[in-house]
Amino acid sequence: MDKFAERLRDDAARIDVTVAPELEARIRASLEATERAAGAPERERKASLPRWWATTLTGAALAAAVIVALNLRPGSTVEPAIESGVPDLAAVDLPRVPLRVEPAVLTSPLEEEYAHLKSDLEKAEKAVREQLDSVF
Amino acid sequence: MSGEAELVESARAGSVAAFTRLVDRYSEGLLRFLATRTPTFADAEDALQDTFINAYRYLDSYDPRWRFSTWLYRIAINNAKRNASPVMDEIGDLPADADGPLAECIAAQTRENIWVAARRLLSDEVVTALWLRYVEDMSVNDIATVLERSVAWTKVNLHRGRRALEPEIGHLQDNERTEAYG
Repeated sequence: MDKFAERLRDDAARIDVTVAPELEARIRASLEATERAAGAPERERKASLPRWWATTLTGAALAAAVIVALNLRPGSTVEPAIESGVPDLAAVDLPRVPLRVEPAVLTSPLEEEYAHLKSDLEKAEKAVREQLDSVF
Repeated sequence: MSGEAELVESARAGSVAAFTRLVDRYSEGLLRFLATRTPTFADAEDALQDTFINAYRYLDSYDPRWRFSTWLYRIAINNAKRNASPVMDEIGDLPADADGPLAECIAAQTRENIWVAARRLLSDEVVTALWLRYVEDMSVNDIATVLERSVAWTKVNLHRGRRALEPEIGHLQDNERTEAYG
């Protein structure tokens, strides 16, 4: 441990605090009387971003599938005004394109860092606004 | 930390006794930390009580991917903010008459405590970052989580805090030498 870290740690240890027995008793009594909140809102919130991606991609894939299905329907093709050398789409055996959807799941550390960067920005904005208010 | 995960699990299952053991484990360190952030020692005690009550109430929202201490310190910071007086919010410094809990706890000591200098020179967040790094031995990632800051911000401000305090340590050591040798 370097001298700086040692000094900070030593001086923190020199801050003389004692948890009084009365405070301990107060905390215990409060805990006995406290009702637990149900559910895990934080975890649900964390899971919401991947879920958003999954639903968005599923929706997009579904829309693409509907468009492809409509275009492949025999009756839906418009008759060409002029006979051309292009073969009739309905007659051609088109290869089926497999629509594989893989949800883009952001890894948790990246999500957290993104949230923290947003928090940095909000705090910086707040600080600038406060400084502007105090100046003007 | 051995046994901590089991204690948290038992507490989640409804054991107040298991949670009380976690309280015993963290109360002194948290109280010392809160004493550096609240206007009076009584406020620090109230913030400590609120921290444990909130932690117990919302234990189901605790994510075991985090260290329990990281979660607890985050709650403690929110409670300390709630108890902070407007004067400390604006100035970010100890009151001039130095009757804050930090000053009370170290009044009997001869040399100036570096944390008093830290409170004088640095913002609340930077003091907290330094405390969590050097006293609680938290990783930069955990500190960023506690402060709801980016890893980049945390690294930069730990470095700035250190650079601001290093001359103070030198200065304080000079004073000690002068006092010792007349």
